[in-house]
Amino acid sequence: MTTGIVFDVREFTIHDGPGIRTTVFLKGCPLACAWCHNPEGLDTAPQVMRSSTGDRMVGRRYEAAELAELLSRQASILASNEGGVTFSGGEPLAQARFVAEVIDLLPGVHIVLDTSGFGSKDAFVALAQRADLVYFDLKVMDPVAHRRWTGHDNAPILRNLARLADLRRPFVARVPLVPGVTDTSENLTAIAEVVASQPTLVRVELLPYNRAAGGKYAACGKTFLPGFDEDRAPNVDLRPFRRAGIEVRVA
Amino acid sequence: MNERIEGLRARTRDGHFRRYRQPNGPNLVAECDRERLSWPMRMARLTRRMCEAEHVVIELDELIVFTRTLAAVPPVYSARDFAALTGGRTLHEGGQINNVCADWGMALGQGLLGRRRVAIETRTRMASAGNAEAIEFLDAAIETIDAVLALAARYATEARRLGKDDVATVLERVPAEPPRTFHEALQALRLLHAVVWLSGHHHVGLGRLDQYLWPYLASDLEARRLDIAAAEELLAEFFIALNRDSDLYPGIQQGDNGQTVTLGGLTPDGRAAVNPLTWMALRVARDVGLIDPKINLRITGESELALLELATELTRKGLGFPQYANDDVVIPALAAHGYALEDARDYTVAACWEFIIPGRGMDVVNIGAVSFPAAADIAVREGLADGASFEVILARTRAEIQRQVHERAAPYERLLWAPAPYYSALMTGALEAGVDHGQGARYRNLGIHGAAAASGADALAAVRRHVFELADVDPAELLAALDADFVGHEALRQRLADESPRVGLNEPAADNLLRMLYDGLADACEAETLRSGAIVRPGTGSAMYYLWLARGRDGGPLAEPVVGPTADGRRRGDPFGANLAPTPGTHLRGPISVLQSYAKIDYGRICNGGPITLELSDSVFRDEESIRKVALLVRTFTRLGCQQLQLNALNAERLLDAKAHPENHRGLIVRVWGWSGYFCELAPEYQDHVISRHLHADV
Repeated sequence: MTTGIVFDVREFTIHDGPGIRTTVFLKGCPLACAWCHNPEGLDTAPQVMRSSTGDRMVGRRYEAAELAELLSRQASILASNEGGVTFSGGEPLAQARFVAEVIDLLPGVHIVLDTSGFGSKDAFVALAQRADLVYFDLKVMDPVAHRRWTGHDNAPILRNLARLADLRRPFVARVPLVPGVTDTSENLTAIAEVVASQPTLVRVELLPYNRAAGGKYAACGKTFLPGFDEDRAPNVDLRPFRRAGIEVRVA
Repeated sequence: MNERIEGLRARTRDGHFRRYRQPNGPNLVAECDRERLSWPMRMARLTRRMCEAEHVVIELDELIVFTRTLAAVPPVYSARDFAALTGGRTLHEGGQINNVCADWGMALGQGLLGRRRVAIETRTRMASAGNAEAIEFLDAAIETIDAVLALAARYATEARRLGKDDVATVLERVPAEPPRTFHEALQALRLLHAVVWLSGHHHVGLGRLDQYLWPYLASDLEARRLDIAAAEELLAEFFIALNRDSDLYPGIQQGDNGQTVTLGGLTPDGRAAVNPLTWMALRVARDVGLIDPKINLRITGESELALLELATELTRKGLGFPQYANDDVVIPALAAHGYALEDARDYTVAACWEFIIPGRGMDVVNIGAVSFPAAADIAVREGLADGASFEVILARTRAEIQRQVHERAAPYERLLWAPAPYYSALMTGALEAGVDHGQGARYRNLGIHGAAAASGADALAAVRRHVFELADVDPAELLAALDADFVGHEALRQRLADESPRVGLNEPAADNLLRMLYDGLADACEAETLRSGAIVRPGTGSAMYYLWLARGRDGGPLAEPVVGPTADGRRRGDPFGANLAPTPGTHLRGPISVLQSYAKIDYGRICNGGPITLELSDSVFRDEESIRKVALLVRTFTRLGCQQLQLNALNAERLLDAKAHPENHRGLIVRVWGWSGYFCELAPEYQDHVISRHLHADV
């Protein structure tokens, strides 16, 4: 039986897909985005979070069947409320075998895969084809800038994005609007160009940067070093998407 | 809201109407003693003198009038005489009937002159039967009716003098005669209700307002005397007026005044009762945005989602209401406890959450609490000390629950209500039978809170897991840790707290114990036989007991046992969850599992009410799509077979800021336990608890 590490299971995550959903947050992410607001999801290993209300162990190892059993106890409620289960993170692709096994144990449950797209072809295909809907993050189109802000090249991400057409998987492109990093007109125009050619695109969602992003770093024993101007309001520009005839909304 | 309504609302909130308050009210004891009046006649005299002493206040932009000018309700006996009169008897909350609901529809429909004719007819009958007690009651009731009619006449005269002919015309008709219009009905209700307060009663509910007022609105709309906007304006004015005297109404904290309204549900003959006024009342309450009236919404698994969406908009505003009651569960439970089916279908919600019957109920719904944590703690400590099995610990828990129920119920064998001639005139059948509501009401049962059940179940679950199943905790060490309030036993405390089943996570190992506690409470209540024939209704509320049972009560007596540290790793003094809520500090996944945990209670046996209490971050109410999802969550609550639900939208940052800078947050409303109050008017410890509840909500 495959096991995986989960840092949270959260119910009524109403912004993580259609209907009433429960989101599984998988621990561990290969990227290191400067604006990450879930620092406890970065490392794979369980860790202690310290706060004024005491220490809390974050990250728990589940067997696939154990997690599936927990989720299946509410599957009918989620289904009757137009919802289902979302796998998010961290990065679900980093624990693809585990996630695939859990999904296979949840027949009939509506699945959203919330991913950065950064992972192997096998991992991506395995999870995307099991998902009913993919939430696909797109951050920076320029490969150099992408490397600078996330630690990795974006080529694997774009290759996985292109696979959604063959997989015939509908997807929502999600763009974090980080001041001066992702919210420039050039970057938003480039994103619009890439997604406009994707036949299974449902819409684009823009997520304006939230100053609370740094809130959990201290509890994780980390320092938040954004490297961009947090005080500047993000440039919420819908025009590049509208010009390309793409449905866009601010989430 | 138009300018007129905005103005009335602003003047109400800034205390403008308090300028009319009189420094002194009538003094009654000397007069009553001199005339050697009986108790019923003294109570009638009280209503009469209060009505006579009221100054008439009409502001030029008012369409519905009455402003209370007498702050205090005087006694009718000297303290010594009152003690002699009531010695050896149990007076519930001062002895005046309270926390009930009049038969407002009947009272409006007959008009006070109609009620007076009924009293006269019964009096004639009682005179020929020689029933002196009934004659005295009816004379007292007639005196109060005449007093209200005289007060209305003074208002009418003053309105005429001021040139407010529309107001004068209404008051020349009502409350004497049955209203012909929605405006007349609201004006009549305003006066009839206000005089109940003036007579010294408290927690004066308004009941099923959308049912008894709809015929008046419907005929206005049909005859085109009124359009929707004008009707909403009148209702808004009425709602705002209910907030004028909140500072005078007694309760544990300001806001705890029981001015509840119950909307929706079923008609007594079982048809769907939602009508256009149900929707209108929700819209108006949303737009007015004040704490009164507090709204309860009766729903079922088949309720229209759009209605739940509208209701969710009120929750989004942070009003702390509506509170939802599930008719699919409540009505069968009441019917199973001896309430006639048509009465069960006609239930309304009392000041907090208890289900009562308008006009026919005189239930004392809050005789006290059973402390589940104390019951479990006594059983656990005895069991660990003498090496008992877990089954024996459970049996002792149940025995302790039964002991507590009996201790709370026994004094109510000697219950004594003060005569209530005026309130009785508004009740079903009191004038017809010639018997005061306190003695003659159809339903005179008792209700008890089964409080802090999650913590009781958590403690038992921790003991079962660690002492009996894993055997990784030594009974002697656990006893020593409890005696030391876990000082020096932190590792053990964390294991008990973090590695045990907990209520709120849909874990059978904890939820089955939750169910066992309430079954034990239901058994104990069923075993309680009172000479009066009353039953004891078990409930799931906590009122202030979620703090008192953990810390004792400041400035007041407490009959219930206070518990120290408990086996779920809870330290001495840490509060319990309010009503049906997991123990604070439980790391919850969210509302679905909480609802699933609480769905396991057998609500067919637990009929006194008490809501599942969920705090949702205000970020989940961001847009229409989110509102719809919250409405789906409410529907899920009904479909899981839960009984009652209280939803709060909270923003911890705003609460913290309000505590630091109250001047910027005067309008901030929060649900406290059974009612909503202004956050800045709560005592600091309650403010802190509301804040910590949200910090722990993790939703």
